[in-house]
Amino acid sequence: MKTWKVLAVLMLLCAAVLAACTVAPVPMPADDSMAMEDEGPSGPVTLKFLALADDDQLNAWREILAEFQQLNDGEYSYVELEFETIPFRELFPKIESSVAVGLPWDLFQADGPDMKHYGFNRVIWPLTDHFSDEEMAQWFPQSIEEGSFRDQFLGPPIMQSCSLLMYNKDFTDAAGISPPVGIENAWTMEEAVAAWQDTTVDENGDGVPEVWGLRWGQGTWTGDYEHGIFRRSNGEIGSATYAGMGEDGVTFQGYLDTDEAAEAMQFYQDLHQTYKVSPVEAIPEIFESRQAAFMVTPDNRIGALNRIHGEGNFNWGVSGIPYFKTPVCHTGSWHYGISPNTQHFEEALEFVRYASSDAGARIWYKHVRQLPANIGLFNELDEYSEDGNQRVWLDAMNSFGIPRIQTPGYTEYQQLFAEAAGNIVVGADPKEQLSAAARRLEGLVAKYTGWNN
Amino acid sequence: MLATPISTPAKGWGRIWSRRNRYYLIAFLFVLPALINFTVFRYLPILAALRASMYQYSLLGGFGDFVGLDQYHAILSDSFFRNSLWVTLKFTIYKVPLQVLFSLILALFLARENLGTAFVRSAVFTPVVTSVIVVSVLWSMMYHSQLGLINSLLSIVGVPPQAFLSNPDRALPALTAMMIWKDVGFSMIILMAGLKGIPVVYREAAVVDGAKPWEVLWHITLPLLRRVMMFVMVTQTIFSFQVFVPVYAMTRGGPLERTKAVVYYIYQYGFLFQDMGTASAMSIVTLIILLVVSVGQMRLFRSDVSY
Repeated sequence: MKTWKVLAVLMLLCAAVLAACTVAPVPMPADDSMAMEDEGPSGPVTLKFLALADDDQLNAWREILAEFQQLNDGEYSYVELEFETIPFRELFPKIESSVAVGLPWDLFQADGPDMKHYGFNRVIWPLTDHFSDEEMAQWFPQSIEEGSFRDQFLGPPIMQSCSLLMYNKDFTDAAGISPPVGIENAWTMEEAVAAWQDTTVDENGDGVPEVWGLRWGQGTWTGDYEHGIFRRSNGEIGSATYAGMGEDGVTFQGYLDTDEAAEAMQFYQDLHQTYKVSPVEAIPEIFESRQAAFMVTPDNRIGALNRIHGEGNFNWGVSGIPYFKTPVCHTGSWHYGISPNTQHFEEALEFVRYASSDAGARIWYKHVRQLPANIGLFNELDEYSEDGNQRVWLDAMNSFGIPRIQTPGYTEYQQLFAEAAGNIVVGADPKEQLSAAARRLEGLVAKYTGWNN
Repeated sequence: MLATPISTPAKGWGRIWSRRNRYYLIAFLFVLPALINFTVFRYLPILAALRASMYQYSLLGGFGDFVGLDQYHAILSDSFFRNSLWVTLKFTIYKVPLQVLFSLILALFLARENLGTAFVRSAVFTPVVTSVIVVSVLWSMMYHSQLGLINSLLSIVGVPPQAFLSNPDRALPALTAMMIWKDVGFSMIILMAGLKGIPVVYREAAVVDGAKPWEVLWHITLPLLRRVMMFVMVTQTIFSFQVFVPVYAMTRGGPLERTKAVVYYIYQYGFLFQDMGTASAMSIVTLIILLVVSVGQMRLFRSDVSY
């Protein structure tokens, strides 16, 4: 009897503790009255900012903050920023787990295609009622679309993007190649591969080129932003291949794994295995360190080249992006997100408002030098004037830039497509990989069914 | 006949505070901090995971519908989960025996005390106290097919560049080699302590009886080292089943799923696929497998010899 009593008490204790262990779902902020115990001008307010580890970006935000503190005779001079910086691939799970366990983050840097996921899961504070039509008109419509979910505006853009084919002029000159000028004359993939082969140089014949023909994409990873372009470019506008995903936002079989998509990814594999113009194991900063002749990248590469080699010391050029049937570049970039856990909503909102305004975006551009999302800036930045050397990125974005697929399941899609692309690089069958990815993906994103109804 | 008196409160307290019970209480108080630690940070999370595995559950959405054992059924029919268990098992089978063998050899050679052995012991132990993420990044660079140190060394003897981490057949052995290098110092120290704990009289007696060195090793040292070996085998098996950081930092489970260990797969489900319920079910299945394996190892290495 005594034993039973002890057991019963223990079970009750366990049940109580388990119930206490339950992580409550994140509440959706309904209106401004929900939160905000602002310290106000009486004391300093430090906004905690979860951001990408990138010195240029951090320097930009520090300067933006300094200007923000001067606004309206120092109305927000009591606001400070405290950054926690993490690598790109850790940012997404960090944001989600931080919100889930209630960490008091105020701001976070949100990747554009993940915005709908954040909206679906209520990880971000909706800002529809806090930005006027005039303010919304500052940004490209693509940026607003990317930063919205179910008619709710979730966060303003930090910048925009579009990838083109940059090249090292010293290498192309040495190979006697003149890449086409202007996006309308861009090479097809077949034409481009000849140039990439001609610029791949293995002088000592050890099988490891000193200069590779191509790095397709930023960083050393495989991912949708860069390598999804192959698939979508091999479809005509309006085709399933070009769309990449069904209209319901959860169907991938018949879109991700079409014969055209597999053919394009076969070409991607051939670049590494047959033509051998790209290393199977990616080399960090291969273009910046003059180990690659061509690189498909947004214009932020220019800032990196200037930082590494000194302003104007790297002899670069740019051409349209190579394509199969349709020229494609993926648009979209980072957005500001306000955490539902913030205790300083007003300050966070006002900082975001300033940082995403033309004034803030101008400072941002000075440091990061990537295509702004603020339309007004194109009238004042020489680089994007009619004969400016970065104008081609703007023209490309307006001509054939398309957002990455818009679904709350983008994270799942990005994971599985990146794995499939990585496997394809090392020699796996593209059709099998894409079909398997599409099948698995539909199982994983079924939970989002009906999200856009 | 005198009635048996009902014990008075004073006598009751006296019985409770008997010398024996006081010893128990003091012992319990010593154990209490560890017990609280284990309860809060080990047992309760396991119970919480068990509960989560029976619900549709995500970090952000909280608990959804009760699904009972459906998620267990789903993961056991998931070929990717089975593959991740197989990868983990292969990693363990590659790593643990080799690591124990190397650490035993090192322990036998380095158990004696002199300046040279102290230096080598420190060198072998240094990777143990180095962050596994740092080690993983360094070895990624060393393994690089174009830029890596290992290929530079191979090229000196005329071997063409080899792919390690991007080769489906070599990636897991490459990770295993790195982790053996990292962990061998830990098991070496444990085995060395075990060796030093064996009374020297047994070996001396065997030598007096004419035993050769390998006979002393085989018939005296190894049998007496059995309990320590069991500890090393069980702990290293558990650590191997939990391998995550090298996979995360070096291969992301690729190429072709050949290095996707089960803990990495659980991480993907829980944090990237927003399905903590399924991730919890995977964790529970892994825990059960690990318990069975550990019990099996403990029975296998059970020793009746005491000294």
